[in-house]
Formats: sequence, C-alpha cells, structure tokens
Amino acid sequence: MRRQTTLATPQTVPAKTWRLVDATDVSLGRLSVDIATVLMGKHRPEYTPHVDCGDFVIVINASKVGMTGRKAEQQMRQTYSRYPGGLKEESYASLRERRPDQLIEDAVKRMLPKNRLGRHMLTKLKVYGGTEHPHQAQQPVPMVV
Amino acid sequence: MPRVRKGAARTQARKRILRRARGHYGSGHKSKYKAEFALIRAGVYQFRDRRRLKRNVRRLWITRITAACRMRNARYSQFINGLKMAGILLNRKMLSELAITDPKVFDQICEMAVKASKAQPAKA
Repeated sequence: MRRQTTLATPQTVPAKTWRLVDATDVSLGRLSVDIATVLMGKHRPEYTPHVDCGDFVIVINASKVGMTGRKAEQQMRQTYSRYPGGLKEESYASLRERRPDQLIEDAVKRMLPKNRLGRHMLTKLKVYGGTEHPHQAQQPVPMVV
Repeated sequence: MPRVRKGAARTQARKRILRRARGHYGSGHKSKYKAEFALIRAGVYQFRDRRRLKRNVRRLWITRITAACRMRNARYSQFINGLKMAGILLNRKMLSELAITDPKVFDQICEMAVKASKAQPAKA
C-alpha cells in the first residue's frame, strides 16, 4: 500500500478552539509570533498550508503590551496618503494608548501569509485594550506566551 | 499533385491543443496560438515542480513534526538528534503521519528521543 501524506481538508480540520492571551508586559514581537503560529495552525501536527486550520485568539490588556529599549518612543507607525507631504507618523507609545488593537494587529498581520488565506486568518484575531472581552460564550482557553 | 486542403485535420489539431489548455486564463483557452505557448511554459513548470514537490513536502513534514514536538515540550532539533542517538530509523514522512494518526506512539518516540538526546555528553 502506498502511504500518502495526510492533508487536512476544510471538512477534516479539527474543531477550532479559542485561546485567550494576556498581553501585559509581554514584548510585542514575541507575543505576535505566538499568536501568528496559532492563527496559522502551525501548532498542531495536522497543519496544512492551503487550508485554514488555526484557532481563534483573543488578546486582552493590549494597551499594556511591552516593548524593549526605546522602541515605544522611537518606533513609528507610518501611513502615506499618496499626496505630497501626506506621510503621517505616530509613535508606538501613542498608538498603544490610542489604538492598542491596531498595534498588535499590524504586527501579527505581517507575520501571516500575504494572500487571501492570510487575510482570512487575521479575522480570527480579536484584540482588546482592557481586561474585558465579549467572547465568554466561546469558552476561551488561556494560552501561555 | 492534387491540391490538399487541411480542413478537418486542422480543426482536429486545434482542438487537441485547446483541450489541454482548458481553464487557462483569458484568451489562453480560446486562441490556439496563445494556448500553444502557454502549454510549453506549463510543461516547464510541471517538470520543475515535480522536483520541487519532494522538497516542499519534506518541509511540510518537518513543520508538522516541529508542532508535534512542541506540544510535548521538545524542540525539533533536540528530537531529531535524539532519534539518531537512540538508533530510531523512522523517516520524517512516517513520523509526521504518526503524530497525526497515532499520537500515543509519537509520545513514546518523543520520550525516547529526548532521553537519548539528554544522555549524550556535553560538547567540550
């Protein structure tokens, strides 16, 4: 009998679970790596690149996420409107205060595949600045980072 | 010599080509000229990717084994090193399949590998 590599299909993917992460004092990059791994499904042996087999991730306390060195003040989030002089810059420190969800989503997004599947994976990430989240019904399991 | 017209033969030849170009983008599946060139390219990719497939699938096995090891608090490098030390000859394909279909067996293999990896003397 010829044995073939098992590939998960949308039907055979194991049931998706929800993970809960507390971002307090975890460095942004290290946090994002672990989140991206779970979103992609690379944490389970059935991982199949062309199928979404990752879990959902809820991040709380995003406004307390850590950054080493002087990155909070020096690192800038840049957006360009395509008009001359349309470059806007905001430091990570001020972004963390104003839109902590944006800060983490950006970091995770760049670690996911740059395609339709990657964009879909990002929708499974829910980030909240405070300790509250509206996903109690999904019974999230705490995740160690 | 009588003059021969291609007629049906030409239609057949075009159909043969277009049949192989089904599903190509744009006019690639309509125009014989475009389809002919596209098929040559397709063949080149096919040849190349039959070879790449072997590497890509091996990478997938390694990713899966890594995931299975991490679930058991081991690292991939540690695991593979341990297998060598313990004299386990299973290949990566079978290891990744075991991790999916028979996690309990993989538990044991992982335990043996980690033990063997830790048992070796530290490098000077």
